[in-house]
Amino acid sequence: MPHQDPTPSRGPAAALRVGIIGTGGISHQHAPGWLELGVDLHCYSHSGADRFAEQYGATVHGTLDELLAAVDVADVCTPTPAHAEIVHAALDAGVDVVCEKPLTLTAEDSRAVVEHAERAGRHLYPAHVVRYFPQYAAAKKAVENGAVGTPAVLRYERTGAAPGQDWYADDEASGGIIMDQMIHDLDQAIWIAGPVSSVYAQQFAGTGPDLVRTGHVVLTHTGGAISHCRGLWGPPGTAFRYTFDIAGDAGRLQYDSDGDPAVQLDAVASARSQGDGGYLPDVSSMRSPYTEEILEFTAAITSGAPTRVSAADGAYVVEVSRAALESLRTGRSIPC
Amino acid sequence: MLNDHAHDTDAASPGPTTPVGAVTPDAATSADAASPGPTSPQAGRFKVAILSIAHTHAHAYAAALEARGDVDLVVSDPEGYGEYRTRPGGRLVSSDEEAWNAWPGGPDAVIVTSANAHHRDQVLEAARRGVHVLCEKPLATTVADAEAMVDACREAGVVLMTAFPVHFAPAVEQLRTAVAEGALGQIVGLTGTNNGKLPGGRAWFSDTELSGGGALVDHTVHLAEILDSMFGLPRTVHAVANRILWADTAGEGAETGGLVTLTYDSGMVATIDCSWSQPKDAPTWGGLTLQALGTGGQMHIDAFAQHVGGQGQWHPYGPNYDALLIDAFLDAVRTGEAVEPTGETGLRTVRIVAAAQESVRTGQPVTLEKD
Repeated sequence: MPHQDPTPSRGPAAALRVGIIGTGGISHQHAPGWLELGVDLHCYSHSGADRFAEQYGATVHGTLDELLAAVDVADVCTPTPAHAEIVHAALDAGVDVVCEKPLTLTAEDSRAVVEHAERAGRHLYPAHVVRYFPQYAAAKKAVENGAVGTPAVLRYERTGAAPGQDWYADDEASGGIIMDQMIHDLDQAIWIAGPVSSVYAQQFAGTGPDLVRTGHVVLTHTGGAISHCRGLWGPPGTAFRYTFDIAGDAGRLQYDSDGDPAVQLDAVASARSQGDGGYLPDVSSMRSPYTEEILEFTAAITSGAPTRVSAADGAYVVEVSRAALESLRTGRSIPC
Repeated sequence: MLNDHAHDTDAASPGPTTPVGAVTPDAATSADAASPGPTSPQAGRFKVAILSIAHTHAHAYAAALEARGDVDLVVSDPEGYGEYRTRPGGRLVSSDEEAWNAWPGGPDAVIVTSANAHHRDQVLEAARRGVHVLCEKPLATTVADAEAMVDACREAGVVLMTAFPVHFAPAVEQLRTAVAEGALGQIVGLTGTNNGKLPGGRAWFSDTELSGGGALVDHTVHLAEILDSMFGLPRTVHAVANRILWADTAGEGAETGGLVTLTYDSGMVATIDCSWSQPKDAPTWGGLTLQALGTGGQMHIDAFAQHVGGQGQWHPYGPNYDALLIDAFLDAVRTGEAVEPTGETGLRTVRIVAAAQESVRTGQPVTLEKD
């Protein structure tokens, strides 16, 4: 999908003033990228702002308005329900915006923030970090170079431990496993095989905290391909794992994060460094994809360079995710 | 086609081999050769006819039968494929009629490995003659045909089993045991893949008149059977399909890619990728995997993982599932009692395929009526 025309450039990255809004889990993935760029970092959060500021050398602001008045770029890392309001406020303040996925909770809200950014002539980038994972980037490049011919049947899997924070378990707040976790793979399927004409979804969702959830979504793409995305929020201790399988009429690409580790520990060694599974993937063996996306967004903001994901892409995958939620609700296949 | 691999030829079969000359086909040694109705060889030799080698699994079954050393085998090749080489214990005839009449009292059992659409008539003929029957999957191309076959065999008192060799894979058995014992907690979701190349050497596999359909028909049923053996019939079936893979070679109207999603009363959801998505130049025919996700952890099985590999190399080893199926069938013939996978199981998997086809037509999930 084409992204909007570059808006006026901000100049050198090191002179940028960047405000992190929401200093919970994901902000700690974003911070290293901003530090690497040497930006002037600011933050605002309902809680934890002081600790974040101390850790990364950021300036704390007491209100959102105060932060927005002090920065060139807002990096929205709050829980999803707050995204739309904050993005609108940032755009109104003339600030460029990086926003965690999903862009907003609803298709309408997403369209509204995209239109607002265009109207305001400001950059808006949804942080679809999986496009910046090197495995997925390599697959995208290979498919563009004809490695599989015409994509026909795609499968994506994402597995992790159920997130601890309560708001994730609240489907109204997070959009559930489909909107929060699987949206990455819905975005991948769309990135590789194009827009979709229908969506069918089913999930098993227990109620209460720490309950295991799994979702299945089947996409029919307008170009004819079909995709299956499977998400799992597993029991505590579930290791993060992601796989894909892209079969086309001239070849097939397969990847399994379990299958090609650059570093392997034997049972003795791994027992000594035992993690407790994860809600987020281990990216220690690669250049942080979070840093990659921050750098690419910043290059676009400072010099008009292209990005591999646009605000419209972020809005579109929200629309598809909402169709999946509609399918869950009705048991029907939903046209898009 | 599922296991179109080295098991298909005796040369590479890892099962027991029969020394040349150790078996002397001798129909006259069977004491009950002339008795009508279902026969149950208590001891001695089995008289078995394979009806057609249109499905290439016939070769694997023939090899397994011959390797046992207690089977007098007749193979009919009415279509004239001409590939079956008679070996000790086997002989070749050119029509089903000759196979039915190869022994004075007819065969004890037949294995139906014709094109899918022909299964029905041959199984009904077996029931009419009072002969036990193992029918290649899918049992039939329509639910009505499958029901007629199950009913006829039940009324005739003959064993009807459906040829799902992977049912006997140790990995599948381990999964069934883990699920039954609750080792994975409550199962919340499953993803199965049964991908293969476009079945080669036999155009009928994607000739919808003879096959009943493409990949949805060919590759949904193995996983449907495994799921059925653990969870019974699903509540809803949804499917999407396309025809991008092998577009130049697959028969007209035969889907080559498909995703079938099943839901169950427990809320569990399962998806089967039945696509013929194995690349033409892959070193093996394809495979079958199933991952079960539970509240107590995950189990992933790969029924055809066991192999010695290398660049472009694939040398399978491990149990011969075709031989295990044949052994189970002949045990059933001996006792007169069908064991899994039965004709009823085959019928339930045909219902799932039919629902998947209807879902592809309508674009919406199909609710299955419980028996």
